Amino acid sequence: MKVTVRYFARYRSLVGKSEEELEVPDGITVRELIEILKERHPVLKNEVFAEEDDLADVNVSRNGRYVRFDEVLRDGDIVAIFPPVSGG
Amino acid sequence: MLSEKEIERYDRQIMIFGKEGQEKLKNSKVAVVGVGGLGSPVAYYLAAAGIGTILLIDEQEPELSNLNRQILHWEEDLEKNPKPLSAKWKLERFNSDIKIETFVGRLTAENVDDVLDGVDVIVDCLDNFETRFLLDDYAHRKRIPLVHGAVEGTFGQVTTIVPGKTKSLREIFPNVKERKGKFPVIGPIAGVVGSIQAMEVIKLLTGLGEPLLNRLLLVDLAYNTFDVVELR
Repeated sequence: MKVTVRYFARYRSLVGKSEEELEVPDGITVRELIEILKERHPVLKNEVFAEEDDLADVNVSRNGRYVRFDEVLRDGDIVAIFPPVSGG
Repeated sequence: MLSEKEIERYDRQIMIFGKEGQEKLKNSKVAVVGVGGLGSPVAYYLAAAGIGTILLIDEQEPELSNLNRQILHWEEDLEKNPKPLSAKWKLERFNSDIKIETFVGRLTAENVDDVLDGVDVIVDCLDNFETRFLLDDYAHRKRIPLVHGAVEGTFGQVTTIVPGKTKSLREIFPNVKERKGKFPVIGPIAGVVGSIQAMEVIKLLTGLGEPLLNRLLLVDLAYNTFDVVELR
């Protein structure tokens, strides 16, 4: 199946594009998609998901709605990943 | 009651929400927690709008590297006037009809009830999630709204928490990892996010429009993108 991944904030700068369409195995979860993204963009692995507890610092929306990492994706989904920022 | 001077001063916005709306702003007390990059435009626009009492909270004094964005602090304030006092001086000269209260110090679990007593809306202009969660907990205990904003680089986020109606900040950002030390940031993103936060306060108090309830606004000025994520 195909999903579109959108990158926000520093993820966008790190990956170097705002979005991309990816062919992924049917029925994967958000967590599995993030594993795929880490393989595809090692810069994310190093700078964003570097901690042992992998998903430490990423928020995900699916088709405009905030989702948890165990959410199952469907063909055609638009998945956005963004870091919570904390500066004031 | 509004004075004749106030009716003239706020004429252009009374055209939007009426004298009733203006009275509501006048009779409200809003806490601006953090008087830095976000707190400067928030406090400035809330003072301009005629919020009756603004409580400014911060423990720091401005540093030179703050001035690219913290527009209520000037060179003469550097390492001298704590941010709430620096901001109070300008805001009182800007609008003599409103009251500016200050708390110079750090909010803690021990003092938060005293410091925020009587506040109608809290505006989160902080730079760390530890104190944000303290505000989140207080807002839920007292059932008052909390307008969250944060910025980094050219990017920012805003959402409005209303206890009983929306998710809490802790629920929205359960996995936050604090990045200690200096972060990159440019003035205009603090200006945009702070302006949106000030508007959220005005909407909450007057009933105008629709605040960002259960919605997270993501702004990136590098690419002029404005996206809203549904949090429900």
